[in-house]
Amino acid sequence: MPLFGKSQKGPADVVKALKEAVNSLEKGDKKAEKAQEDVSKNLVLIKNMLYGTSDAEPQADIIVAQLAQELYNSNLLLLLIQNLNRIDFEGKKDVAQVFNNILRRQIGTRSPTVEYICTKPEILFTLMTGYEHQEIALNCGTMLRECARYEALAKIMLYSEDFYNFFRYVEVSTFDIASDAFSTFKELLTRHKILCADFLETNYDKVFSHYQRLLNSENYVTRRQSLKLLGELLLDRHNFTVMTRYISNPDNLKLMMNMLKERSRNIQFEAFHVFKVFVANPNKPKPILDILLRNQEKLVEFLIKFHTDRAEDEQFNDEKAYLIRQIKELKPIPGH
Amino acid sequence: MQTIYDAKISDYKTISILGHCFDNKAMVHLAKHLPTAELVAIKKFNLDKIREDIELVESEIILTRQLSHPNIIPYITSFVAGPEVCVVSPLMAYGSCRDLLTRHFSEGLLEPAIILILKDVLSALIYIHKKGYIHRAIRASHILVSDTGQICLTGLRYACPIIKNGKWQRAIHSFPNSTEKNLNWLSPELLQQNLQGYSEKSDIYSIGMVICELANGSEPFAGMAKTLMLTEKVRGCTPQLLDRTTVPREETIECGGDTDISANVLDRRFGRDLHELVSLCFHWDVDMRPSASQLLSHSVFKAVKKAPPLPELLKPALPLSDRVGYDTEEMENFDALAKMSQLEIFSCEWDF
Repeated sequence: MPLFGKSQKGPADVVKALKEAVNSLEKGDKKAEKAQEDVSKNLVLIKNMLYGTSDAEPQADIIVAQLAQELYNSNLLLLLIQNLNRIDFEGKKDVAQVFNNILRRQIGTRSPTVEYICTKPEILFTLMTGYEHQEIALNCGTMLRECARYEALAKIMLYSEDFYNFFRYVEVSTFDIASDAFSTFKELLTRHKILCADFLETNYDKVFSHYQRLLNSENYVTRRQSLKLLGELLLDRHNFTVMTRYISNPDNLKLMMNMLKERSRNIQFEAFHVFKVFVANPNKPKPILDILLRNQEKLVEFLIKFHTDRAEDEQFNDEKAYLIRQIKELKPIPGH
Repeated sequence: MQTIYDAKISDYKTISILGHCFDNKAMVHLAKHLPTAELVAIKKFNLDKIREDIELVESEIILTRQLSHPNIIPYITSFVAGPEVCVVSPLMAYGSCRDLLTRHFSEGLLEPAIILILKDVLSALIYIHKKGYIHRAIRASHILVSDTGQICLTGLRYACPIIKNGKWQRAIHSFPNSTEKNLNWLSPELLQQNLQGYSEKSDIYSIGMVICELANGSEPFAGMAKTLMLTEKVRGCTPQLLDRTTVPREETIECGGDTDISANVLDRRFGRDLHELVSLCFHWDVDMRPSASQLLSHSVFKAVKKAPPLPELLKPALPLSDRVGYDTEEMENFDALAKMSQLEIFSCEWDF
C-alpha cells in the first residue's frame, strides 16, 4: 500500500504543489478553500517524509536531500513563513515541524539549511515579527529557538534592529506569547557565550537601558524572569566586562536594594543574587561604597532577617553569612 | 463568530472557588466574563508559591494553546495579574470526574456513563498521540465534564513530546517532573525507567487505570506505599472492575462482613466487553497493547450509541449554573485573607 494517498509523489512534485497552493492562498481568490486543503495535505506529506509516522519510517536520506534542495530552490520556506497566518491551525504547526527538521539537516559538519538562511535573512526577520501576531506567535517561537541554536543565525538576530522588539514582546499581555518570547530572548542572550558577551559589550548602553524597563515592568512575570536572567548573565564569567560595568553604576545598586524589599519573595530572592555581586566586588567604586556605608547597619539587620526559612539551602546561607560579614567590615576609603 | 476574551483581569468578576489543582499551587475560580456575562473558569497559578515548577505552568499553557480538539480543554486566553498567571477556559459545569466520584458516586459511575466518558477521552488521546505527545497524567481528576456532558481532557503540564531533535522517537526515557500524584496511574514501563523506555502506549495503560477508577470510585492503589505499588505493577498485578464476577461473595462473608465492599458492588455486573477492554489496556506486552484508535473501535462503544445522554446518567449530580447556588461566603473570606496578606511589607527604608 502506498504510504501517502493514492500515488506516491516525489519531493519535487510535492514542493511544487505546495508552492502553488500557498500562492493561491496568498491571492485569496475564489479557490481559497481548495487552496487551504491543498496546503494542509502537502504539508502533511512533507512532514511525513521527514519524520515518518508512528507506523512508518522517515524517507531515505536521498529523498530528504532532494526535498531540501527543492525547498531552497523554490524559496518555499520564506513563502510559507510569510503566509503563516493564512494557513490553518494544524498546518501552522506542520510548517514549524518541517522547518525545524530541515534546519537540522547536516552533511558532514556542514548545515546546508543554516547556510541557506544566512543568504536569506528575511526568513529570520519575518519569524521575529511573528510575535506581533497572536495566531502565529507560538509557531514562530518554536522556529526561532531552533534557529538560535546556530551561532551564525543567532548573530544575525542579535545584531539586527529587530532584536530590540523583544523587549516589547516579552511584556505583551497574553502570557503564553510573552513567556514564549522570553525563552527565545533568553536563548539569544545566553546560548553562544562568546557571541553574547561580545554583543553585550558592544551594545551595553542600548541593551541595558532597554533591560532597565523590564526590571521595572508592571508585569510580575516579566520582572521576575528578567531579574533572574540578569543574575545569570552577570555571574557568567564570559560576561566579566559587562558585569564590572553593571556593578559600578550606583543606580543599578539602588534598584537591587529596592527589589530586595519587593512584596514577592521570589523577586527578593532573585534580587539577592544580583545584589551579592555588588557587595562581593573587591574594587567597589566610591559611589557604590558610599551607598553601602550609608545603609551599613540597616543592611546587616535586614539580611539577618532575610529568608530565614531557607535553612536547607546551604549555598544561600553561606552566601548570606558572607555578605553580612563583608558589609559589617566595610570602611570608608581613607583620605576621603 | 467566537467571542473575544480580553487578556485583562478587570474583565472578569470572580464569583466563587471551584477547587484547587496542581498540588494546591493553583486555584480554580468560577468567574463571570463581564462584557458577555458568560460564566467561565479561571485557573490561577500563584507564581509566588511556585519556585521551580514555573516552567511546568508555562509549558502546559503553551502546549494547550497549540492543541485544538473538542475533547481537550481550550485555554481561551492567559494573562498575568499581580503574582498570578490566570488561564481562562470554558466552565466545565460538572467539574472533574474525580469530583463526581467523590461527591456522588463513591462506588463508581454507571457503565454507560463510563463508556461515554471513555469514548471522548480516547478521541482526545488519538489527537494528542497523532500530534506527537504523550499525555502521562490520564486520571479522573484530569477529565472534565461540561453541562451538556461534553468531556474535556486537561492536565497537559506533564505531557512530553515524542518528537525530539527533529526525529520521531521510538522510545522515550525522560521521567516526568513533579509527578508524585500521578504515579498510581502510570505504566510499569514508564515507572521502571529502564533502557527500553516507554511510548504513547503508556497512556493506554493509564486508560485502564481510569476505567477502574471510574467504575470502582476509588483511586487505583489508593493507600498503598509507592514502592509496593511499583512492585505490584511490575509483577503484572492490576486493579479490576469490582463486581460479582470479580469479588466472590463467600470471601467477604468469611471476612466477617468487615469489609469496604458493599452489597451494591457485589450485586452489580459490568459487561464482559468492559472487562475485556480493561485487560487489553493492561496488556503487559506493549506491542500487544492496542493504540487509542484501536481501542475506540472496540465493540463496547457500539452498544453505547443507544445510551441516554451523559447528564441523565450523572443524576443526582447537577451542573453548576446561575441557578445552582454557589458558596460566595467562602469567596469573601478568601478576599479578606488576600487583603490581610498585603499588609505584610518590609518596613525599612534605604538611605540613598
